[in-house]
Amino acid sequence: MARDRGQGEDYSGPLKRLLLGVLLLCLLGIFLIWRIDSPRVERFRAQVVDRVVPSFDWAMAPVTGAVNILRDFQSYQRMYQQNQDLRRELQQMKAWKEAALQLEQENARLLDLNNVQLDPRLTYVTGVVMADSGSPFRQSVLINVGARDGIMDGWASMDGLGLVGRISGVGRNTARVILLTDTSSRIPVTIQPSGQRALIIGDNSIAPVVDFVEAPDQVRPGDRVLTSGDGGVFPAGLLVGQLAEDPGGRMRVRISADYERLEFLRVLRSYEKERLTDPGQVIAPLILPGTEGPNIPTDPAEAAEAGNG
Amino acid sequence: MADALVPRSWVMRALYLVLCITLLFLHLLPLEHMPPKWAGPDFVMALTFAWAVRRPDYVPVLLVAVVTLGLDLMLQRPPGLWAALMVIGTQTLRNRAPSLRDLTFAAEWASVASTMVLITVANRVILALLMVDQAPLGLSLMQLLSTLVAYPAMAILSHVLLGVRKRAPGDLDTAGPRL
Repeated sequence: MARDRGQGEDYSGPLKRLLLGVLLLCLLGIFLIWRIDSPRVERFRAQVVDRVVPSFDWAMAPVTGAVNILRDFQSYQRMYQQNQDLRRELQQMKAWKEAALQLEQENARLLDLNNVQLDPRLTYVTGVVMADSGSPFRQSVLINVGARDGIMDGWASMDGLGLVGRISGVGRNTARVILLTDTSSRIPVTIQPSGQRALIIGDNSIAPVVDFVEAPDQVRPGDRVLTSGDGGVFPAGLLVGQLAEDPGGRMRVRISADYERLEFLRVLRSYEKERLTDPGQVIAPLILPGTEGPNIPTDPAEAAEAGNG
Repeated sequence: MADALVPRSWVMRALYLVLCITLLFLHLLPLEHMPPKWAGPDFVMALTFAWAVRRPDYVPVLLVAVVTLGLDLMLQRPPGLWAALMVIGTQTLRNRAPSLRDLTFAAEWASVASTMVLITVANRVILALLMVDQAPLGLSLMQLLSTLVAYPAMAILSHVLLGVRKRAPGDLDTAGPRL
């Protein structure tokens, strides 16, 4: 009997071999379809994730909570040291707060002077992190807001302070946020104060690389990195982090968002901007509210005069 | 055991599925968002191979295909490729299982290790040929190594706790060879 089995029970019979062949063809076929028509398969993947992960949620939340409590408990042992650190930080923060208040007032004054309209549509939806990517090679998280809440691919997501990533893959109830540290993440940024444009490129390390800087000698570690809004990907001016230099001399971003604790993420609604195709038409609406007719300076000289006056 | 309501092989197949879902669940827990400096073992691969070498009838090829395809989808891997390689790997080990039955654990380990190395290399080569973005080489190597190291633990756990043992001559606890 043992010898009968010894002859390879699952290769026995051409039928089984055929079945195996068909199975392998199916799997490789799925892979090839993914390679050729990635968006469709990714949409399918998002739907599968959307089905499966919420059904884990009842168990995931308590387990995550319990592990976090354990970790917090460990950190109690270092409480004294933490307390000292916090006091020191608080001192620094007080100085910064003073500076921030002054700047805020100044900023408000300047905005008032310029009569600037901030984009009123830049509102946000806040979601809770449900799951992470589950693999050490991918840096992404799944949040519990999705197409039902109007989330769309490509929107920016932030924690309280800085940019965390962008939405890629939306299911009905869930959406995936590709973190800045993922190897497929590319975000156009501006480096302030020099105003250089660059790209930050995730490389599976905590500090993404800054590349394609126009004039690398004009930027230095400590500069602020903001999104630039180039390519219509993100709204401009979201804080990403600070520039730093690694031992190898490459520029990297120290991310402002707290990746240690991603719990709540806000997703910024950024609808596609109006495209400027016909420059003459967009200076002002044809009929301004409260006036009877268009009030557009037609003559360039007149416009310049109005600008100077 | 022979006159149980459900055949033991079906119980063990269900157990395999449950174990894989549990592993997926543990992977998905949102505990760590920092990019890792090291990659842990791929327990599903170790489990599948350990069972395929010991009791091939507990991990039928269709079940392996479905589980790994599901994992591909959930873990953001290119869907299908890793599943296909896992099926090939499992089949290879399944064919070697009868000859491995009488050899030592070291021989089994070596056999499993070669299969793991081969399918990992094949995975990287195929992805490179099709120009798909890949994980850093260091991390994949680390995952491969840690899986190799974790394999004996997985085998012992399966052997002691779950009762997945090699068939001994005169072992009559299964319904038969055809399943």
